[in-house]
Amino acid sequence: MSSDLTQTPNFAKFGRATVDIAARIGGLFAAVIVVAGVFLLINPHFANLNLAVSILRTMSSVAIMAMGLTLVIVVGEIDLSFGAMYGLAANVLAVMWVVHGVPVYVAIPLTLVIAALVGSFNGFLATSWKIPSFIVTLGSYNLLYGLSLWVSNSGTFNPNYPPSGTDLPQGQLDFFIGLTASFGKYQLSAEVFWMLGIALVVGFLLHRSLFGFRLMAIGGNTEAARLARLPVRRYKISAFIVCSILAGMAGILDFSFIQTSQPDIGLSQTFPVFAAVIIGGASLNGGKGTIIGTIGGALLLAELQLGLALLSPGPHVQQIFLGAVTIVAVGLDLFLAKLRKSLK
Amino acid sequence: MTEASSAGIQIRGLTKRYGSTLALNGLDLDIQPGEIFGVAGPNGAGKSTLVRMIGGEESPTSGSLTLDGQAWSPTDAWDAVSIVHQEPQLFPNLTVAENMVAGREGAGAGWPKPGDADLQIMDAMGLHAVRDLPLGECSLAMQQRTEIARAVARQARIFLFDEPNSALTQAESDELFREMRKLAESGRIVLLITHRLGDLVRNCARVAVVRDGRVRGVLSGEALTEEGLARQLVTEAAAVAPPALRASFRASEAAPRFKVQGWSSPNAFRGVDFSAGLGEIVALIGVEGSGARELLRSFGGLEPCTGEISVTGATDVDWDRFRCYVPATRALSLYSNFTVGENLLARLGVPEIANWLLALKKGQMAALVERSIRRFLVKTPKASVPIRSLSGGNQQKVAIAQALNRAPELLLLEEPTRGVDIHSKNEIYHLLRDYAATGKVVIVFCTEVLEVFEVADCAYVVGQGQLSTRLTLSDYEHVEVLATDIARLEQGADAKVGA
Repeated sequence: MSSDLTQTPNFAKFGRATVDIAARIGGLFAAVIVVAGVFLLINPHFANLNLAVSILRTMSSVAIMAMGLTLVIVVGEIDLSFGAMYGLAANVLAVMWVVHGVPVYVAIPLTLVIAALVGSFNGFLATSWKIPSFIVTLGSYNLLYGLSLWVSNSGTFNPNYPPSGTDLPQGQLDFFIGLTASFGKYQLSAEVFWMLGIALVVGFLLHRSLFGFRLMAIGGNTEAARLARLPVRRYKISAFIVCSILAGMAGILDFSFIQTSQPDIGLSQTFPVFAAVIIGGASLNGGKGTIIGTIGGALLLAELQLGLALLSPGPHVQQIFLGAVTIVAVGLDLFLAKLRKSLK
Repeated sequence: MTEASSAGIQIRGLTKRYGSTLALNGLDLDIQPGEIFGVAGPNGAGKSTLVRMIGGEESPTSGSLTLDGQAWSPTDAWDAVSIVHQEPQLFPNLTVAENMVAGREGAGAGWPKPGDADLQIMDAMGLHAVRDLPLGECSLAMQQRTEIARAVARQARIFLFDEPNSALTQAESDELFREMRKLAESGRIVLLITHRLGDLVRNCARVAVVRDGRVRGVLSGEALTEEGLARQLVTEAAAVAPPALRASFRASEAAPRFKVQGWSSPNAFRGVDFSAGLGEIVALIGVEGSGARELLRSFGGLEPCTGEISVTGATDVDWDRFRCYVPATRALSLYSNFTVGENLLARLGVPEIANWLLALKKGQMAALVERSIRRFLVKTPKASVPIRSLSGGNQQKVAIAQALNRAPELLLLEEPTRGVDIHSKNEIYHLLRDYAATGKVVIVFCTEVLEVFEVADCAYVVGQGQLSTRLTLSDYEHVEVLATDIARLEQGADAKVGA
């Protein structure tokens, strides 16, 4: 789909690299439309704005985490722990606020501080101790899940029904639930705006700031960056910190929307989030990835997930599609890259 | 040479083209069994391409190879050839004995064991004691010997030694040369490719000098001396008239701008005193393992060192601002995921390409890229093409421009024109000259005499971690004389350690 674009002389004023990225993202959103078309053919009742809105809600927390992961992958590292961080954030917040009565205005910043500490921990071990980030974050995934079980004492919490003895002020409750309030005719959740706002910030960071420029450089050639005396360590640690903070935010927002915390929430998000980033065109080799691509990946996955759930052929189909789409997206990518090379 | 007997390798008209560059240009060569045949040549002359051809790693564009009078295609008959590299390419996790049999395990289902023949070869090569040690724990010399033993066991006929002893101690490399002579005496074909002229003279019966993809001459007997080889390597090649380029002043008279004293690194060099003045291009020349490369890197703060380092007397400088180091291989200086423009800016930060909020200044970046492309003569259709689409010479210009854009007071370059065509080479020399002339210090690590002659104002030969006396380039009118002097100084350094 993109090979013919590069041949078009109209694109000559952009470089091939720009065209490649444009074609990649164009292809991704074309896939989103094609998939929507297929669902509509199967069931015309799917042409329904409520459904579109709920796809956007579903993708929000995945997209927020995926944006953080994109930064880590761009800089050439891996984070497996964000799903557990998402869960820890919800549980820590629940315990601080719902159980111990710490005001939510204090508990939320504290939770984000904890997320930042987790990110520094991952980043520090991966850069200073030179433990591969795959191993470090595999470890912290389990560690954080363990902490979630510990602080929550394996319990579930709902701020609407605090344990007896604590009383949550109505103002705090309204504020917290208001974070993801739904409004308008189609019940659009504010979580979607959080996602878009974060996308603007992270998109600026990755594509319009020196921070992103250097993340790309370090991910593209770490050794060259080191020899050129770029602050490799600091940038890698920062990427881990941003990733953890965003995972924490996603956890808090979903807690606000679902209003129930469980010790194991988020764990099952790990691989869908990875898939979104990879489908979005980021390379595990580092140095390559876009925020818009990652969001497209999350959108495609949410669309498939919801569509298949409504067609209800069984939960196995969603899972099979998640796997197939990931492999096909990357396979297609490599195939087209090879095709372009041979055409050149 | 046409009357050569049919035994051995005959190469006729061997040509290899990579895109627009001719790596080999109708090369003819006859190599007889029973002798150690040497190949010398400057970087980019086609030596490594020749090794890849004979080793069957690539097939020639045109030309013919015969082995013992039969047409021969090394790509098919690869097991007849063994290439011994500087870094053995084996399995460090397996033991020496397992390495011996890996690839020839036979049909048994069990964990493979070396046969009697293998054991004999290993004993003959002194590998008995390390037989059951993981290869990765053995010394480099032992690993190389394992590689040779492997090839002997599979009855290889041809042994190519590609810079085999650059990381070995004197005793180890003596041992290696004894092994090579034994191989030759047993009727095998042995080629030695190295930069170390002394080794070629001492060990080879004949040495071919390769330049620009052709054999420029074969030296043997009386004519085979280090000075003779050094001259052969540079004659005719001095296409530039560099003395005109050279700084007009005798830089040694200027106060030193950059200075190190008692500069030592645990494994590479010790007690080095060195200084360089403003506007000066200083060359450090030395073969691999001499310490010259490490010395340059240490000036860039990339090797742990002891001693005093100062700039016009001051030791507390913002070193990261002050100096820039450009590695020899573009794989270590360029970002393949970046466009040409992004590569040019990769070393910049606040305030050059971003404001205090870290926001990139896109307009300024585009202007800066435009300017760099013009100033550094980068030939590119536009700034936004991938860096890999440029020719090697232009990529190298980008790599150097990347550092020059930071305007460092001290510019450190490793082999700045390695693998670069003659035209880009001259442009790069001009760039460096112009840059030095703006009152900066440029230090270049070279492995080629010609490069020293063409680019530097003064040079130091590094051998065994020691600096020679200073050679002032304006004293030399002919590159041959410089080559002879450098060869002598390298020998001198060798002799010092031998004593």
